[in-house]
Amino acid sequence: MNRFVITAALMLFAAGSASGAEGWGIDNEKKTRVDAKVVDLLCEVTGDCADNCGNGKRQLGLLLDDGRLVPVVKNQDIFAGAVEDLAPFCGKRITADGLMISNPKMPMFALQFKREAPDGKWSRANWYIKNWSKANPGKPGKDWYKHDAKVLELIAKDGVYGIPGLKPSE
Amino acid sequence: MRPKSILMAVAMAGILYVPAADAATTPERVKVTGEIIDTWCYVTEIMYALGTAHHKCAVWCAVGGIPVSIKDASDKVYMVLKVEDDDNSVANPKILKVQTHQVTVEGDLYVRDGVNYLIVNQVADDKGVVNMTHEDYGIQPFGE
Ligand SMILES: [Cu+2]
Repeated sequence: MNRFVITAALMLFAAGSASGAEGWGIDNEKKTRVDAKVVDLLCEVTGDCADNCGNGKRQLGLLLDDGRLVPVVKNQDIFAGAVEDLAPFCGKRITADGLMISNPKMPMFALQFKREAPDGKWSRANWYIKNWSKANPGKPGKDWYKHDAKVLELIAKDGVYGIPGLKPSE
Repeated sequence: MRPKSILMAVAMAGILYVPAADAATTPERVKVTGEIIDTWCYVTEIMYALGTAHHKCAVWCAVGGIPVSIKDASDKVYMVLKVEDDDNSVANPKILKVQTHQVTVEGDLYVRDGVNYLIVNQVADDKGVVNMTHEDYGIQPFGE
């Protein structure tokens, strides 16, 4: 096999695996691929609606075909939610691939991949860091939380414990 | 038609019309006392996610746009969608400032498909961070 064929095979493999959810070992998780409508939770639940799902400033969810509403609380980036991944699809049907977490405290969805339904292009649910990196050129996206100006400001003001003046002992 | 039968007709039309209009959830007025938490870390239990030990991580997650909730004494979790007429529920600076605080809020609770969605009308009390967990749990999740 020449190098080109191997590369092509690897790329195919990567493309194939780019749309299959991975288990995280969380209680009550179930790998799930489902078509659903992206909705603004506040609007869907209370009728208090905003243009374009609040333009990234409102929490979003999936309205399933059976009428069930599931909040999407997580994407694939460390310490980040899925609003940046879903906001561009406000009001549209997507295929969501990820983990349905049927926790009795709160059912929720962790998004890993998404595409516009039924046959849009798959993309990873990693647009939080993608957008953060665009807004913070030169800073390492994978460690965004260590470099984010809002985080640094809050921790400088209130400390790591949230209590001003209380510091970890060395 | 006599006035009385007109009224009757209007009333009946109303009765026929109303049930179709809103079969959705209606809110319940509630008062909730509890800790402001990161929804993801707490519900999934991927780490110890309460009090001082988890404050920094809870700030990261809230800045990262994960929904913020209030956990009450019975471990019931309420996802906050709106605070005092502010409908920003994604890294809202006002909410970031009170992460991990013990608060009492008055609001409207909508329960849908197992999720408690809370519209906070008023923050009645804020005791700041009072849940001292770091002595037992260190700093989550990295120890620094
Ligand atoms: Cu955490």
